[in-house]
Amino acid sequence: MWRFLIVNVLTLMLAGAEGFTFVLASPVASQQFQFKSATFVFRAEGCDSTAPQITATAEGIVKGERKSVELKVASGPKPGIYAVFQNWPPEGQWLVNLKGACGNMTAGAIVPIGPKGFIRESSKILPRPATDNEIETTLRTQGGKK
Amino acid sequence: MFDRHVNTQLASYLDGELPAPERQRIERHLSSCETCRIECDQVRTGLSMVHALPLASAPAAIWNAIEAATHQTHSQPAWFRYRIPALAAVLTVAIAAILYLTLGHRHQSNWDVVGLQGSTAVDSKPIRGTSTVKPGEWIETASSSSARVQIGAIGVVEVGPATRLRVTAIRPSEHRLALARGEIHAKIIAPPKLFFVDTPSATAEDLGCEYSLKTDEDGLGLLHVTLGWVSFQWKGLESLVPAGASCRTRPHTGPGVPYFDDAPEELIQALGTLAATNYAGSSLDVVLRDARVRDTLTLWHLLPRTESPDRQRIYERIAALSPVPTDVSRERALQLDPDTLARWREALAWTW
Repeated sequence: MWRFLIVNVLTLMLAGAEGFTFVLASPVASQQFQFKSATFVFRAEGCDSTAPQITATAEGIVKGERKSVELKVASGPKPGIYAVFQNWPPEGQWLVNLKGACGNMTAGAIVPIGPKGFIRESSKILPRPATDNEIETTLRTQGGKK
Repeated sequence: MFDRHVNTQLASYLDGELPAPERQRIERHLSSCETCRIECDQVRTGLSMVHALPLASAPAAIWNAIEAATHQTHSQPAWFRYRIPALAAVLTVAIAAILYLTLGHRHQSNWDVVGLQGSTAVDSKPIRGTSTVKPGEWIETASSSSARVQIGAIGVVEVGPATRLRVTAIRPSEHRLALARGEIHAKIIAPPKLFFVDTPSATAEDLGCEYSLKTDEDGLGLLHVTLGWVSFQWKGLESLVPAGASCRTRPHTGPGVPYFDDAPEELIQALGTLAATNYAGSSLDVVLRDARVRDTLTLWHLLPRTESPDRQRIYERIAALSPVPTDVSRERALQLDPDTLARWREALAWTW
């Protein structure tokens, strides 16, 4: 019984690892001129059967004050490719919190924003939406680096 | 080498109705077929005119007539049954023709030029404030001058000091400048393939972008892209330069290999040496050694410029930096199959 459960859990974890996820890139990756001035683009992978539900918010600290801005996730002519445009103030530390759902699967990403756009190296791809703690930690780390 | 023309699918393509493989095939074809590209621009112009038309309600009499016609018995001759739709079709064509002629004639045949500082001349005549420039005329700035050219409704070109620039075409499907020397900064808001700048050694084709381009009179130049993509071309050779990257061009050899501005300095220097030695020699070792993941942009462009065994080494280095997609075969990539290389570039671009 226990062996059966462990195998099932491992299988589910493996399926999750190869399942619904986000791939982030610079706007040039989309090959769509409509996205050329986006902050970043991303594609949703592993969600073939259903159109994924994707939301984004910009989370920031401006002059010590915590801010949150709802963002519109733009989709273009190529299916499965989306863009996030800057809709938050230029000052302060900011990150974009991506949340996705595809049937029972979830995905998330924390995308720190620097002076030259999104910071690919510091971005975190998650198999679930980011927690408040993860967002606050990332914002504090960004502030510390500055 | 020979690909069937795509003119019958252009409307569906521009409306985004085609599946991805077909769309990619059309994009590849358009990149190499001047005839279809021109037709694509014409269809795009036509579609934008159609989209700009105001919606109007048909008079009730027309609907009554259509309803009455549909209730007629089929004993009537065919021409009689279809007279209303036929009349509607004729009217539609007539209205479209009138709109095309009137709007077409309204198309701008010159562009505004504003002198920003110092002295600027249009066709050797100094301008004050705002002037206009038309095809065939030159814009010239003095050594400490600058100007701005409004490229119709599609963008703006800032003209730097000591620049000589000629307007060569102002058409809905083609906005073209020739940069003889100096520097320009172009910001284009139109769909791709409507704005072109010729230099003595390469042509910059806008793929939806913002960029700076400078050249001397011999054709030694540099393209730097800040948004989107630019296709930099010369005699069938093409370099695709994305935002954040630059590409040099040289007389008689055309555009070189693009590189990201944050690429290692030694890699950039080695590229210069490689271009001067027709992409053979030990500088390739430096490029392969120093390349980072996003420098696969540079490595991908080196593939068609090199021969075996160097081409194989480049392939292996790209594969080591970024997993090769399953639909990219090694053999076909090394044979420079255009579809394979295009698929690979699109996949690699997610790391650029």
